[in-house]
Amino acid sequence: MARRQLLLRLQLQSNPEVLCGVRGAISPIAAAIGFNEDDCRAITLALDEAITNVIRHAYGGKLGRNIEIQFNKLNGAGGEKPALEIVLLDRGAKPKPGAFKGLPPGELRSGGLGLHFMRQSMDKVVHTRAGSANRLRLVKFIR
Amino acid sequence: MQISARRLENITIFDVIGDIDLANSPAVRKALLSEIKEKKIPRVIMNLQGVKYIDSSGIASLVEGLKASRDAQARFILFGLSKSAREVLQLSRLLKLFEIYENEEQALSNERA
Repeated sequence: MARRQLLLRLQLQSNPEVLCGVRGAISPIAAAIGFNEDDCRAITLALDEAITNVIRHAYGGKLGRNIEIQFNKLNGAGGEKPALEIVLLDRGAKPKPGAFKGLPPGELRSGGLGLHFMRQSMDKVVHTRAGSANRLRLVKFIR
Repeated sequence: MQISARRLENITIFDVIGDIDLANSPAVRKALLSEIKEKKIPRVIMNLQGVKYIDSSGIASLVEGLKASRDAQARFILFGLSKSAREVLQLSRLLKLFEIYENEEQALSNERA
């Protein structure tokens, strides 16, 4: 069995109005590969926050820019547990230094919670910059 | 998402139905700040019974409302949080900063929790 099995590939435009549809797509996929209801909600939140960050920060709120999202099932080769891997690709701006450091939650501040939510919801949150592209990889293991 | 306002003397109740995310959190923020900062309503209540999902941009709008209410010495109250909305507020570690009730009757009562 392949280590990585592609479940779905989405090509989106940067537009907040797509968020509702993506949320509707991910939860049944996560449930189908074995996540419980709480984990499905956590994955949905993490994905919503990841797309929101791309729209707001990578594309500066501009509409109509490309966002590609791949959903893969990792079959647990090499001793790792099976997992859902979500990879977001965009060609927006490079994050500012420290952007992925995150800000502490619990303060009355109207921003900075998205990354915290992603990290609380997923087991791995890894951003890399390759050329002019941002790649954000989210992984959650199936318990 | 739909947001509508009811007025009862010096109280505004916002009834919100639908998800609060980046697509509509600016509308929530605008509605809240209009009541609190411009109209100087002393008690603004958010009915979130119809909100099944809220993300960080929605939380940010509620935070704006809370900050404005503190500046204006007004009360900003939430009630009817779904499990999901409560979880997200808990995750933000802001749950205890808000005045939260189970239902409208409690939110309208003059007794603070």
